[in-house]
Amino acid sequence: MLEVDSFTKYYGELCAVEDLSFRIEEGEFVTLLGPSGCGKSTTLHAIAGLVEPTDGRIRLRGTDVTDLPPEKRNIGMAFQSTALFPHMTVRENIAYGLKMHGYSAADVEDRVEESLELVDMPDHGDHKPGELSGGQQQRVSLARSLAYEPDILLLDEPLTGLDRVLREEMRGWLNRIQREVNVTTLYVTHDQEDALSMSDTVVVLNDGQAQQIDSPERIYESPANPFVAEFVGKSTQFTGTVTHENGQAVVYNDEKRITLPDSSIDDDQSVSLYVRPEDIEVSPEPMGAENEFRGIITDIANLGNRAELSATLEDGSTALAHTTRFPDIDVDDDIFLRFPAERVIVL
Amino acid sequence: MSVQRGGLGRVTHIIGEGLEGRIANRHLALFGLGFVGLFFVLPILLLIPESLNLGSTTPFESYRRVANGIYVDAFVRSFLYGFVTTVVTLALAYMLSYFLAFSTERVRTAMILIIVPLWIAYIVRYFGILLFLSPAGPLADLTGFETDLLFTTPAVIIGLANVYLPFAVLPIYNSLNAIDEELVNASRVLGAGKWRTITKVIFPLSLPGLVAAGLIVFILAAGSFLGPAVLGGPNQTMIANVIAQAFLDNFNIQFASALAIVYTVLLVGLLLVFNTLFDLQEVLGNI
Repeated sequence: MLEVDSFTKYYGELCAVEDLSFRIEEGEFVTLLGPSGCGKSTTLHAIAGLVEPTDGRIRLRGTDVTDLPPEKRNIGMAFQSTALFPHMTVRENIAYGLKMHGYSAADVEDRVEESLELVDMPDHGDHKPGELSGGQQQRVSLARSLAYEPDILLLDEPLTGLDRVLREEMRGWLNRIQREVNVTTLYVTHDQEDALSMSDTVVVLNDGQAQQIDSPERIYESPANPFVAEFVGKSTQFTGTVTHENGQAVVYNDEKRITLPDSSIDDDQSVSLYVRPEDIEVSPEPMGAENEFRGIITDIANLGNRAELSATLEDGSTALAHTTRFPDIDVDDDIFLRFPAERVIVL
Repeated sequence: MSVQRGGLGRVTHIIGEGLEGRIANRHLALFGLGFVGLFFVLPILLLIPESLNLGSTTPFESYRRVANGIYVDAFVRSFLYGFVTTVVTLALAYMLSYFLAFSTERVRTAMILIIVPLWIAYIVRYFGILLFLSPAGPLADLTGFETDLLFTTPAVIIGLANVYLPFAVLPIYNSLNAIDEELVNASRVLGAGKWRTITKVIFPLSLPGLVAAGLIVFILAAGSFLGPAVLGGPNQTMIANVIAQAFLDNFNIQFASALAIVYTVLLVGLLLVFNTLFDLQEVLGNI
């Protein structure tokens, strides 16, 4: 459907994106996830035709569109700033793309009304964008980019700038619209929650290079490298060198002995270990299990349905655990943390 | 405090102490308003009694004379030249501003080139054009082609457009530069080519700057004195030249005042018409 093939973009000497390749299948929701400056926006703009690639090809529905101007590509795009035309009404904004795509006057009128219905704003057609709230403007922006049935929908951080509650609401809403219209979607964000909650596939980008292209589950459970492990989700981190004891692979991190899930790993490898907070169990008493460490609670953050405990281990490192039961423990209490060997991510 | 204050610092300090708590922001406005009132409004109002022949049986004698053919011509010519100059200047300024806002990284250099002429006295610039266009001037020397432009209407328009161009570039550039680049991107992605993006998005959004520029240039151009005096002939006389002649050459203060009053009334009337057509408040309020 969309094929980005060895896309490279230099701004003078500065490399924004280096040899990036990925594909999107028909109807798929793909997210480009990465910190600011990782090249995700440049990639999106290149697909739209707003940035000229230094190298590489972009194919849409089998056609090479690399040298086509944006207006010849049949792409829908919603911008972070919404980019609604301030001198036009909501209706005129939506009609703009339809007119430019050569729809007849009658079709334009019908489709504008349908689009307003689609985004639940049938009564706002005569408003100017400036009279709408941030969330409403984003919905109009989406309606405008979908009205002429583009081959692909590009979303450039549309939820950034909305408050948390609205953001979560808009995520569900955006997913619903995407399924309803069944439009192939490429979403760009620096927000991992956006990426994990909405996408079929996530492309993690850093320094202009793809770090991992995978399902959200795999990105979280089996990160490909330390960058992905640290950028997506929280974790407790250990480092050390692999040795074998009694046929088990273990890592000594200062005093701590950590058993690894897989014994096939070679000796003397330097590894980073990550344990997700929901995999760490906390209790006031020791169980004598493997991968069990003593620590002192430094912070308890109540997240409503669960609590996030921060603890300092004996060697001074920090561990992070989620607990759904609210144990009778408090800051400065001594506790024991343990995690099963098979939940350790080894990189 | 042990620090010894210098002479000037001491004086301002004493003045500051004296004013402390007695002067509010609205007092500051009074200085500006007072200046305008004393040196602008009052003199204009004084023109009204000056223009009337009070005490005679024909107090409006001067106004009757204003309705004479040659003076009517000068009025018409002023507004016509003002209009043509505005159109020419806006067209040039728009292209220049568009280039500045969207096509060059060297905005600062270009801006300096546009602003520097403002530092040079009008009269010098008009004489420059006069020399350039004259049959023995550089244009004739370089091209071997002697133009008949000097002392004609086109010469005056060229001069006026040249002198007022910076006044038009600044507001137009400002409004073009304020257009979010994403709007231009959005227009392109929505299927509009470059040209349609200009006509449907960029131009409408730059209208406030264009209207402001148009007003400034029109008012300045219609009231020009030096341009027609240096570059025009007897057939290019504009209203400011007529007023100056009546006032300075003929010492006919009454007639000069009448001309000035009529010109002011016509100009204000024209602006009111313009206002109803374009709703200036809304347009200028967006700047």
